[in-house]
Amino acid sequence: MSDPAVRVRDLVKTFEVSRKSPGLAGALKGLFRSETTTLTAVDHVSFDLDRGEMVGYIGPNGAGKSTTIKMLTGILTPTSGDVTALGFVPWRDRRAYTKSIGVVFGQRTQLWWDIAVVESFRLLREIYGVSEADYARRMKVFDDLLDVGRLLPQPVRKLSLGERMRCDLAASLLHEPTLLFLDEPTIGLDVVAKANVRSFLKEANKLLSTTVILTTHDLDDIEELCERVVLIDRGQVLWDGSLRGLRDRHLPEARIRFDLNPIPAGDPAELAVGPWRAARLAQGRYQIVVDKREVSTADVLREVVRDLPVLDLAVGEPDIEEVVARIYRENAALRKPDDEALPEGGAPGVVAHRGVRRG
Amino acid sequence: MTALALARPYLAFARTSFLNLLAYRARYFVGILTYFFNATVWYYIWRALFHEKGDGATLGGFTFPQMLTYVTTGWALRSFYFNEVDREIASQVREGRLAMTLIKPVDVQAMTLSQALGESAFRLVLFTLPIGVLLGLVYPILPPASPSAFALYLLSGLLSALLVGAINFCVGLVAIRTTSILGVLRAKYLVLELLSGLLVPVAFFPEPARKVLVWLPFMHMNDTPGRIWLGLATGADAARALALQAGWTVALLLLGRVLWNATARRIEVQGG
Repeated sequence: MSDPAVRVRDLVKTFEVSRKSPGLAGALKGLFRSETTTLTAVDHVSFDLDRGEMVGYIGPNGAGKSTTIKMLTGILTPTSGDVTALGFVPWRDRRAYTKSIGVVFGQRTQLWWDIAVVESFRLLREIYGVSEADYARRMKVFDDLLDVGRLLPQPVRKLSLGERMRCDLAASLLHEPTLLFLDEPTIGLDVVAKANVRSFLKEANKLLSTTVILTTHDLDDIEELCERVVLIDRGQVLWDGSLRGLRDRHLPEARIRFDLNPIPAGDPAELAVGPWRAARLAQGRYQIVVDKREVSTADVLREVVRDLPVLDLAVGEPDIEEVVARIYRENAALRKPDDEALPEGGAPGVVAHRGVRRG
Repeated sequence: MTALALARPYLAFARTSFLNLLAYRARYFVGILTYFFNATVWYYIWRALFHEKGDGATLGGFTFPQMLTYVTTGWALRSFYFNEVDREIASQVREGRLAMTLIKPVDVQAMTLSQALGESAFRLVLFTLPIGVLLGLVYPILPPASPSAFALYLLSGLLSALLVGAINFCVGLVAIRTTSILGVLRAKYLVLELLSGLLVPVAFFPEPARKVLVWLPFMHMNDTPGRIWLGLATGADAARALALQAGWTVALLLLGRVLWNATARRIEVQGG
């Protein structure tokens, strides 16, 4: 099948927000006339998801991630634009479409709060018409991978957040959906629980070749799970491609960090190494930030080792958090003076080229 | 797909709702007393009114034992058909919890009503039956006029549960559109308790009001089953009342569907 699992074109969602005038006079005015502003949450978003693909959908708070997911899952009707998912229009064919999707909203649960977890699973079994045999087989798999078996007799309110999330993940996969939406599946989880959830998702994606779209604030999720990221900010797609590509394009830096022995006389805040400057991090420890577009890291390394009494040395890249933070910042700075003046579309990459250089 | 296969998810919803309420069963023991006190208050009010008129007097066509029976069977019935579908659906929309329902291949109205019926089944066992027994032991309540009157009373009571569910689903959807959900719900309770005949039998209403009320759904929630129990509505009279009750139930279920379709597009699930 060459059709993409999900095809999104020019998706737009605007909300009417009533504007309140301040003070008593404003409140009185509001009684008779309410002024509304239109807020664009999702602004001409387009992308495809291939079958079996696992894609990270990232962006800062309020970027429009959840709004997009709600439209893709059929909860919200878009203002304009098209979505075809598994051959359905989600909000129009909701009941037929939702048979083949699974959804996890990390901040909510689809389990009944006060009764044993297993009762929620029984209900789901009936909702999706899962046969006894399939049910037993799948519950066995969930128990193997997520260790949910011992949680089944307990009421949800007694579970820890990590335990609840494992149950929610299993619940969303009970009917073996072909398309899985995960909205913040690791929110609030500790390191161990996060690792559990990630390895389960990897496994599930491999076993069932489920198409997965994952929104998260935790970019480690993305680094571990997704080959591809779609990055949005203020409702627009800023990047759609690999994580490596995102890094190379927006923050093509290497950091050379080294310890000197003996410590240079006077413990200077900056050292000259050929044409480059090394900044002091701690006593005897310095760092050079290499712009990879201008020079190769190896060239700089050679000079460092030749010119200085290097005791120890490490080369690193900015982590993905930093790259993304940079993009958000640049996008915000670019937009600040006049929102409306921004060229239509805000194509990926544009932002970085015009971005403010770090001083 | 067979009808049973189609109904299975909704039976499961009813069952789950039943189980969920079991988790709260302690709350219901207090509820039993609340209903008992309510019926008791009305017992003394009516006793005082009848006492004034003298022994063997009738008010609105009711003797005192009949009135007592009308009041107590009415409160017992209410403990069965009562549900908070309206509040539940309105708060689901408000809090964005409806999202968790919309991502499932279920009919929202059918699911909501199944849960309401699951709740009624629960209430029947832990609530209505003990209340009925308690009231029967304490007060001289008249037995049903005949076995068939009792059967029709049960049928009418079941229809009441569906009718209240249908009304509440509509009220919940209307309440979402206002900023004061609680205000709408409070107004609804006033209207329902007054017009259903729970507080005052419909026979006490002025003639013109009664003529209108007969054609509205409300009095069929309480007044109709009450009069059937007492044998005040029999034969064609009872049949007409039951037909109106059933007709309104179907009409309001359909209205609920129309309202849902009109509302679903507008529902903007909060947060995220």
